[in-house]
Amino acid sequence: MTIPLLICDDSAMARKQVKRALPESWDVDVTLATNGVEGIDAIRGGCGEMVFLDLTMPEMDGYEVLQLVKSEKIKSIIIVISADIQPEARERVIALGALDFIKKPVDSEKLANVLAKYGLL
Amino acid sequence: MNNPGLTEDQRDCLQEIVNVAMGRAGDSLARFLETFIHLSVPKIKLVDSVELTSSLVKMVGEVEKVSAVRQGFYSTVGDTDLRGEAIIIFSDQSFLELADLLAYDEALSDVTENELLLDISNILTGACLNGLAEQMEGELGYSAPSIIGKHILTEDVVAPGQIPWHQALLIEINYTLENSSFSCSLLLLMPGTSIDAVKQKLDHLLDGF
Repeated sequence: MTIPLLICDDSAMARKQVKRALPESWDVDVTLATNGVEGIDAIRGGCGEMVFLDLTMPEMDGYEVLQLVKSEKIKSIIIVISADIQPEARERVIALGALDFIKKPVDSEKLANVLAKYGLL
Repeated sequence: MNNPGLTEDQRDCLQEIVNVAMGRAGDSLARFLETFIHLSVPKIKLVDSVELTSSLVKMVGEVEKVSAVRQGFYSTVGDTDLRGEAIIIFSDQSFLELADLLAYDEALSDVTENELLLDISNILTGACLNGLAEQMEGELGYSAPSIIGKHILTEDVVAPGQIPWHQALLIEINYTLENSSFSCSLLLLMPGTSIDAVKQKLDHLLDGF
């Protein structure tokens, strides 16, 4: 079954990096969002059953998106992909309901490892 | 140099590279201060030498006095003309916060202030430049940090007469702490002659996509 997948990052290059790193065998329908506001709208609209989420973004950051998804009890698997590599950033997003954290820059190997870890491949 | 400006793709690419480098430098500072650092989106702009001071004032905000440290950097591989200055600016209020964070009993002495300024400059500049170089598949060398001035006006961080260029690429990275008024800014300033080298590097990276 096709998975609605959202890639939410303010950088076009970062979005491309994620898109390029997706497993070839994966059957996904990709939506792109350029900030947290667009991201949460897409998630509310059902485009983010699975989400790759950046943290540092204008308008609304990734933490706020996680908070909203949590408080609105939306079913969404969110993996944070961020340049904020402080251990505490990871702890915070996990506490806010993110499944895991990938350090930027992302590549297909890092992504596949995380997806395999949770049986998402 | 025909067009000093960056294309939208080049700007986006540079922004993301800076973002990753900023994250690494932020992590290094967080470990040093044993606290969580709040990161914001880095800003990239082209500035004229006459605008630089007002850009700095705008960036640092309404603070009375600041202290600043500089480190020069340069590409150590190939024949590229990539070089620039990394400048760290602290508000004086941040010194009080630092004394608190690092559990000093009294106000910081002159010597301790200097040590902290140089240490933090080394930590941030080193991690940031290494992060940039790694992603741009190059190597950047940098000079030892030197103090530009302490408890000076933001306007005096860069004296207009000292600037040997007309236009430069300015990258602003701000670090703030939660529940604290500590903040410091890392500026990377690359003179006009380096912009072409930067653009070449970015185009090379963009070709990979």
